Amino acid sequence: MNKLKSQALIGDIFIIVTSAIAVVFLFKTLWSNVPASQLLIRQADQIIGTYDLEQTRELHIHGPLGESHISIEQGKVRFKQSPCNHQYCVHQGWLNRVGQVAICLPNQISLQLIGEKKPYDSLNY
Amino acid sequence: MRPLFLFFSAWLLISCSAKEPLYNTQTYVFGTLVDISIYGETDERAQAVSNAIIQEYQHLHQRLHAWKPSELSAVNQAFTQGEAITVKADIAQMLSDVTRLSTQSNGTFNPAIGQLIKLWGFQNDTFTPHQVDAKAIDSLISKNPRMTDLVIKGNQIHSVNSAVQLDLGGYAKGYALDLGLAYLKQQHIQHALINIGGNIIALGQHGNQAWRVGIQHPRQPNAIATVALASGWAIGTSGDYQRYFYLDGKRYCHIIDPKTGYPVQGMQSVTVLIPPKKQAGVLSDVASKPIFIAPANERLAQAKAMDVPHFLIITSNTDIQVSEAMQQKLTWLDHKAEKIAKVVRFE
Amino acid sequence: MTRSTISINPTKTDHHVAKLTALAIALHVLEAVFPSPLPGVKPGVANIITLFVLIRYGFGTAAWVSLLRVFASSLLLGNFLSPTFVLSLSGALLSLATLWLAQYLPKRYFSVITLSVLAAFAHTLGQLCIVRIWLIPHAGVSYLIPIFALAALIFGLINGIICARLLSK
Repeated sequence: MNKLKSQALIGDIFIIVTSAIAVVFLFKTLWSNVPASQLLIRQADQIIGTYDLEQTRELHIHGPLGESHISIEQGKVRFKQSPCNHQYCVHQGWLNRVGQVAICLPNQISLQLIGEKKPYDSLNY
Repeated sequence: MRPLFLFFSAWLLISCSAKEPLYNTQTYVFGTLVDISIYGETDERAQAVSNAIIQEYQHLHQRLHAWKPSELSAVNQAFTQGEAITVKADIAQMLSDVTRLSTQSNGTFNPAIGQLIKLWGFQNDTFTPHQVDAKAIDSLISKNPRMTDLVIKGNQIHSVNSAVQLDLGGYAKGYALDLGLAYLKQQHIQHALINIGGNIIALGQHGNQAWRVGIQHPRQPNAIATVALASGWAIGTSGDYQRYFYLDGKRYCHIIDPKTGYPVQGMQSVTVLIPPKKQAGVLSDVASKPIFIAPANERLAQAKAMDVPHFLIITSNTDIQVSEAMQQKLTWLDHKAEKIAKVVRFE
Repeated sequence: MTRSTISINPTKTDHHVAKLTALAIALHVLEAVFPSPLPGVKPGVANIITLFVLIRYGFGTAAWVSLLRVFASSLLLGNFLSPTFVLSLSGALLSLATLWLAQYLPKRYFSVITLSVLAAFAHTLGQLCIVRIWLIPHAGVSYLIPIFALAALIFGLINGIICARLLSK
């Protein structure tokens, strides 16, 4: 009885396998490998602006805690500095793919990457 | 108050990243998609200019329609009846130009084979697979309709061969590109890109970099390479992947070899790049065709005859030829194709 | 008039549960102090206690332990009523709701490991909902969902196995 209790049962295996499949599915659908072309910045629920990623620029965004510094550098972006306690946002590091998000929750600022980068303006066919 | 002021000024400074001044419009003309991009103008101006161009294109399309009643079909009608016809000056000019280009390609580019094109069902908006009577093809071939059968005196034209039926499908788009470019320049537009069914001509730049054009992979839904199209340059591709049908496992594309009467087999695409010149648009449309149609050992000769040192020939998944000059202009996106591609000298 | 006294006589069970609650709080606080690589991704070891109590002492007790843990920890950490507290509470509530249903799964086929995995997913879901609805009201979080789901699966599994081991002693 004791040994049985510390071993996984059939139902457990079923749950584990189903969950694993669900996780893989989530990765496949929600994660993108496509380089992004634009950055969308929000403060609270306001859109501060949309910025081209193909530039080198520093942005200072004001939130309730103070100023967060955001660096855009030729296709990637990150929180450089933020007045929050845990610095989770800064630790996210550089973002460069569509769908990637960095959030400074305490300062209510979010960075979101959008816009598939098309390597051309028009298609010849 | 001070923090609020700081916040707002920061907000203002930050929100001054202006939306880029790129205007884009897409319409359906010439039986295909026309895409006009104008950079650096106000939306109102860009819209007015592109609308004018589109209208001009719609008008031209009506005049040159190969199978609906048009100025061109009237000409074809006259040819069938062995009669002369008077046309507008620009069409007379167009037809002598087409004749010149046809001769330049030694008859390989031949818009006089309208009957053959119709026989194969490509004078339609959709194509259904059907067997074509070999006898009908032979009969048409023996009649040998060519551009040189035309006699043009001023604005009067007649044909010495009643089998000539003109189909300007391989010329009209290029012609329209040149018209569009001329109009843009006349309107003092400095930066624009016109794409007519895949044929593209560039004016100026996209901001501070050249316009970039993708080249469609003949068998995959992505671009195989890109080219930076400097001002005045044009690009065109003839391919077997846009207008075709399958019959008994064989692909029949819309480009017909005037010598055999049958659609070209064993070719996927030919792309040509034309530097700025008076007829860059026309050449981007016309020049790829004789290279596409010619047998393998004559392709280079055709490229030379049409004066096109920049070309990309894709015969199959394992056979790609690119001219030296073209290779320098290309940025490959498909690295497998890049490895397969053989660089060919133009000499 | 005789003064009426209300005497509360703590039973052995009460002592046990109190100790476990204290342990849960301690574990939660310890975990909060530890830096985690990603915000919101935590092993959630205090949940082992919740599950242990659920199996040994029933759902009611487990609910008490869990909620007490959430409130006490947040008071100790100094983030009572902060967004962190709300996230913790929402995760705990959804996770408890799931356990309330899942406890009726036949014990022949489903052990505490299942409960742990399901509770972990529910906890994550609860937190994501709060983030989505209240904290960051836009679709940006979809990028984070796969990571959180993976963490829920892994840690749910580990916690479940540990709990199973503890229960078999």
